[in-house]
Amino acid sequence: MSEDVGGTVASKLEEIGPSVSVALEIGMDTYFDVVRGLTDNFAAKKGLKCVYITSSVPSSTMLSALKMLEVDTKNIYFVDCISHLVAGNIGPSENTIYIDNPTMLENIILKVDFLSRKLKEGAMLVVLDSINSLAIHNDFKMLSEFLQVLLSSLKSKGAYPVIISVAGQAKPELKEAIALVCDQVVPVQAIPVPGKL
Amino acid sequence: MQAAELKAERTKCATGIDGLDGILGGGIPISNMVLVTGGSGTGKTTLAFEFLVRGASKGEKGLLITTVESPEKLISNIPRFDFLDEKHVKDGTLQILELGPLMDKAGISQRVLDKESALRFGDTIEKTLVENGVKRLVLDSFSSLLYGIDDHMVAKVLLQRISAAISAAKCTGLLVSDSANPSGIEGVVADGVILMGNHERRGDLLRTMQVTKMKGTSHSRSKYVIDLTSCGVLVTPLLKGGGVS
Repeated sequence: MSEDVGGTVASKLEEIGPSVSVALEIGMDTYFDVVRGLTDNFAAKKGLKCVYITSSVPSSTMLSALKMLEVDTKNIYFVDCISHLVAGNIGPSENTIYIDNPTMLENIILKVDFLSRKLKEGAMLVVLDSINSLAIHNDFKMLSEFLQVLLSSLKSKGAYPVIISVAGQAKPELKEAIALVCDQVVPVQAIPVPGKL
Repeated sequence: MQAAELKAERTKCATGIDGLDGILGGGIPISNMVLVTGGSGTGKTTLAFEFLVRGASKGEKGLLITTVESPEKLISNIPRFDFLDEKHVKDGTLQILELGPLMDKAGISQRVLDKESALRFGDTIEKTLVENGVKRLVLDSFSSLLYGIDDHMVAKVLLQRISAAISAAKCTGLLVSDSANPSGIEGVVADGVILMGNHERRGDLLRTMQVTKMKGTSHSRSKYVIDLTSCGVLVTPLLKGGGVS
């Protein structure tokens, strides 16, 4: 099952192609399979650089998880929106840019732009993990506007923009916003997670 | 005059700063004297220096006149631009002068300018611009020049003379000012005003930029968030979230 999820995610992105914004609606049980599918099965196999916006867990934690999953992380660059908020998780890392607070949404856009220029990459994979955690810190109107600006910018650069949305954790307004700004919403795990609203 | 001529915009100096050129519809009209103003730490000097570096990379001679800090200190406080070519500093395409020698050249010994010395200073700037073929001028900071002038008329004369010097040299100039309030005489005389500032959101500060005035071109008057990086000043719209502040 887990191998299939990663492979399915990669095949789906391959089929969709660049400059199309995709929201992956995932279940928590498939989270790591999806992450591996994106970073390893898709980006690494295609030789793409990956910008990973993390607002759920610190980049150091995510980096350790990816290493445990045996994902080659040398081409993964983090925009870390959460470490500053949860004090004590900030360590020097040449592949990580920190943002003071997940409410500074414009800075996320600017840091992704910076990495895109620095890496001189158009067709890079940009993963936003996750829209649900950003929704904890921002109102949905602001979030919708942020997504629209970010995704338009990435699409114009020929990138592969992917938003991770955890099924069952998004309020109806957020779901509407995702449907409005994303070109495709792909359910990866259709079964609702037990115990979640 | 034909209708097409009436509609035509003036030839522009593309700043080379992507986001700013987008806001200005291609760049700053040539011969404009633009005030870059805002509080400390808002990115004025970085923006102005990038303007010069981008110009130098296109072969346009740039001159930075620093009135407070030494050239070394001023540059050390700016992010190290990836696109800065040291060659341009060595060959004089990008020149940095301190105010003192320019004042000496103008024969001005007093610290407080009067009308006559203000005009002489303007003459010296014009001569320097024309003789060196300078196409981009930055005066940083202009407000420190004004600190010593109590008479508003003298300040106005100085600004008008510098503006005329820029125009005569077919140059484009940025005057960097520390004032957070551009409604002073410098904002009135300048052809354009770029307002740099901070936007506070739940206790966090975002650096912002807003073009509030630019003669000779239509431009966005929206507020943008900026980031000062080694790739230059990056710009994105300030998110409003559908609300009105």
